[in-house]
Amino acid sequence: MSLVEARDITLSARIGDMSVEVLRNVSFTLEAGETLGLVGESGAGKSMIGRLFSQLLPPGFAVSAGELIFDGENLITMSQTKRRRLLGKRIAFVPQEPMTALNPVLSIGSQFNEHLKRLGVRGGRARRDLAIKILSEVHLPEPELLLGKYPHQLSGGMCQRALIALAFAGDPVLVVADEPTTALDVMTQARIMALIAEMQQLHGTAMILITHDLRLAAHVCDKILVMYAGDVVERSGARDLLADPRHPYTRSLKRANPTISGPRMRLPTLPDQMPGLVEFSNLSGCRFSPRCPVNADACRAGVPAMLEIGPGHDVLCVPACASGERDISEVEAPPAPGGNGTDAPLVELKNVSRRFVTRGKWFANATTVDAVNDVSFAIGQGEFIGIVGESGSGKTTVARMIAGLDQPTEGQILVRGKDARLQTAEAKAERLETLQMIFQDPQSALNPRRMVESLLTQAMEADHRNHDAEERGGRAVDLLREIGLPGDSRRRYPSQLSGGQRQRVNIGRAICIAPKVLVADEIVSGLDVSVQAQILNLLLRLREELDISLLLISHDLSVVRYICSRVFVMHKGCVVESGPTEQVFADPQHAYTRTLLSAVPPDDADSPWPPLFSESEADVVRAF
Amino acid sequence: MLRLILAILLRRLIVVIPMLLVVSVMIFVILRLLPVDPIAMIISPTALPHEVEATRAFHGLDKPIPVQYLIWIGNVFSGDFGNAISFRVSVLNLVGETLPATIELALFALFFAVIIGFGAGLYMFHVRGTVRETVTDVFSIAMLSFPDFLWALILILLVGVQWAILPFTGRYGPEFIAPDITGFIFLDAIITADGPLLWSALGHIILPALALALAFAPLIMRVLKSSLTEVMTEDYITLARLRGISEWRILLRHALKNGVLPTLTLVGVQFGFLFGGTLLVEIIFAYPGLGNLMVRAIRNTDLPVIQMAALTYCVVVLASNTVVDVLYVVLNPKLRKE
Repeated sequence: MSLVEARDITLSARIGDMSVEVLRNVSFTLEAGETLGLVGESGAGKSMIGRLFSQLLPPGFAVSAGELIFDGENLITMSQTKRRRLLGKRIAFVPQEPMTALNPVLSIGSQFNEHLKRLGVRGGRARRDLAIKILSEVHLPEPELLLGKYPHQLSGGMCQRALIALAFAGDPVLVVADEPTTALDVMTQARIMALIAEMQQLHGTAMILITHDLRLAAHVCDKILVMYAGDVVERSGARDLLADPRHPYTRSLKRANPTISGPRMRLPTLPDQMPGLVEFSNLSGCRFSPRCPVNADACRAGVPAMLEIGPGHDVLCVPACASGERDISEVEAPPAPGGNGTDAPLVELKNVSRRFVTRGKWFANATTVDAVNDVSFAIGQGEFIGIVGESGSGKTTVARMIAGLDQPTEGQILVRGKDARLQTAEAKAERLETLQMIFQDPQSALNPRRMVESLLTQAMEADHRNHDAEERGGRAVDLLREIGLPGDSRRRYPSQLSGGQRQRVNIGRAICIAPKVLVADEIVSGLDVSVQAQILNLLLRLREELDISLLLISHDLSVVRYICSRVFVMHKGCVVESGPTEQVFADPQHAYTRTLLSAVPPDDADSPWPPLFSESEADVVRAF
Repeated sequence: MLRLILAILLRRLIVVIPMLLVVSVMIFVILRLLPVDPIAMIISPTALPHEVEATRAFHGLDKPIPVQYLIWIGNVFSGDFGNAISFRVSVLNLVGETLPATIELALFALFFAVIIGFGAGLYMFHVRGTVRETVTDVFSIAMLSFPDFLWALILILLVGVQWAILPFTGRYGPEFIAPDITGFIFLDAIITADGPLLWSALGHIILPALALALAFAPLIMRVLKSSLTEVMTEDYITLARLRGISEWRILLRHALKNGVLPTLTLVGVQFGFLFGGTLLVEIIFAYPGLGNLMVRAIRNTDLPVIQMAALTYCVVVLASNTVVDVLYVVLNPKLRKE
């Protein structure tokens, strides 16, 4: 008997007076010790499957058909008390946001104490000893001291380790991990995934891993379900899925994600985005068909049956499309935009350093942090440059200094050959015309009380006497076309747009007064893979049409490889390696670059990942 | 932790002294610019002009206002708060006699308000999403619109007169003579082991304290309910559920500890209003506190007493804010960074 067996589960939600099927006919099995991946973009329903185990569903959601058998018992019909007895003991959860998943006013020790008490460990001394034991199992240094600390004193990675320790404390048979590494950077992600695998081995635990990252899932899971709008569209062994995806959605998902090695293929973009819950009822037949690149008439007539195309490999598609005969053609991408090297640089950094000094408080001494240390580079006309590094490496500080939001403590920044510290009205105006910044989170960067039209042309307000309303309206129409939004979105508010559309507006706003250089800080990291591909292609198109330059700050190496011709690798405030992106990624010279690259899940399903960080590498990283 | 609390107190003290100086100047100047003459209240109607001037000079009221202020503040720094004009006793004695009574009243009121506010807040939170929520919501808004003096009148009429189960004038029964040790009647009664006095004082303080508390409690309960509702959507609450922790434990141990922080801020800010509210309530209940003294002083335009009483109110508000700051550090580990 399987540990978990889901049989044709349909989850319905009541929205207004409509009933919407949030999940349709979800079936899978999970054996003891096995790992199942649930992959898909946001809105696919993968987190809902995770929630089925606890039955902590949003109001109005209920399972309308099917059963979820855990260890011989149906979790859905089970009484609440009985189910609660399983939670934390036999079924444990690892959450998405480690920083907010621990109670901020309770010490780590008291949270462990509470959990272990519930698990039935008697005696404060015994609980303390056990807590120390499991905290050292997850490789947290000095567990005795850690018990007295509070969550805000820990890094994201350390919080996640503590939460993993909590999850495995009760020796559960099943762990449900919902995007456990999404909030963490690449290096921490690789380490946390390695840790989860290790704990799974140690305790013989089965796991359900919910993730948006197909490659990551392919490397750590035994089998994978690909979800789209509440349907399981493909079900397969993990390696098989990455090597030979069959469903058009899985194939698009794989290709929409740029690669870290091999030929650079042009990212195919799907139109629009995943439909929202309210739109589900308007979709007849296959829910993917409106966006499907290989679309057959049969798909719209009715939902295709699960098609078995190999041992343990099923696809929810019509035979003609699933066979790959009508595959989308792949085109090699043109080289990433580089400068011609002859023009004078638009922006130049000369030995720039930024030192933060925290003021000495009542009983504490002042401390200094070198956030950026002796960084020099230049951005030429039309050049796309990337800065990569872990969080805390100083890459955002560089972007802020270039945008004029912060000043270097040493060195000089030149914008079109003039010192960026010049405060004359003329110099300020010239800097604004040259440089525009695109912020990371469009949700908070766009004023929610302004319409798209006014947001897009906000930059014209700086010199409002020269632009009347009519001119602004005209410019807004041009910009909408430029960023690929329909004309009628002019009169909408940011809350009426999707995440991808908001990021488009955010970009459109930056190019309003036709600047020469865009400084973009992590502008695609919060987006779904298919939307990310749309935005990356938009940036490339803007380069072609406007001859714009871009400084992209990103922790995602594959994104940088796709659009940047030169890359700077930053570590602890220093640039440790720089050069043409292809060359740096293909033949990294610095140990840190190599470690960073090895932390990215490779495209080849057979190469092992997550890597075991060897001691020497770890030393290099630490000693630097 | 202790070091941090001391640091807060020290920092507060440094801010408080200049603040009190500014407040004292404001009170002093405003009182002297008022078109009232304190001398007129104490002098006999038949006094001759030169007698009036002599009295005025005796009290120093003939000097320019800045000079008057400097004399007064100089005396204050040497511990002399001056004499009341109409009561003919030291201002310090007057305030010292009445302040303990008002502090007792305010603390009892705070205690009742917290009990009622937290109880009702938890109940409102508990019934959220049901019909009873709407009922409690309407009820709490109605409560919110009742001022303390109205509660005082209702309580007197209902509990004091109609049912006649609690006394409603004074601080303790007329048959007792207070042992004046600390000025705090409850403390004194305990020190002298005077059970009947303690009992009588307790009976006397319930109604005025309750009047103040009933006006304050609806605020606490509404803020507590809304902050609990917000905290309950946090990730760590969801994860606690996923760990199988019981709902009661989640509420009391996880949610309340976080949800109490905004409530505490409110209590700290509002305590000043509550303390100010004692003024009217003391008059209604003939309770011999600072508020009663203040009203009598205003009636007699006794400037030294008014300014001292006003400054005392100011000090109490600053002190209560400091207590809240310290409590915040104790309850919120994020603020414990040294």
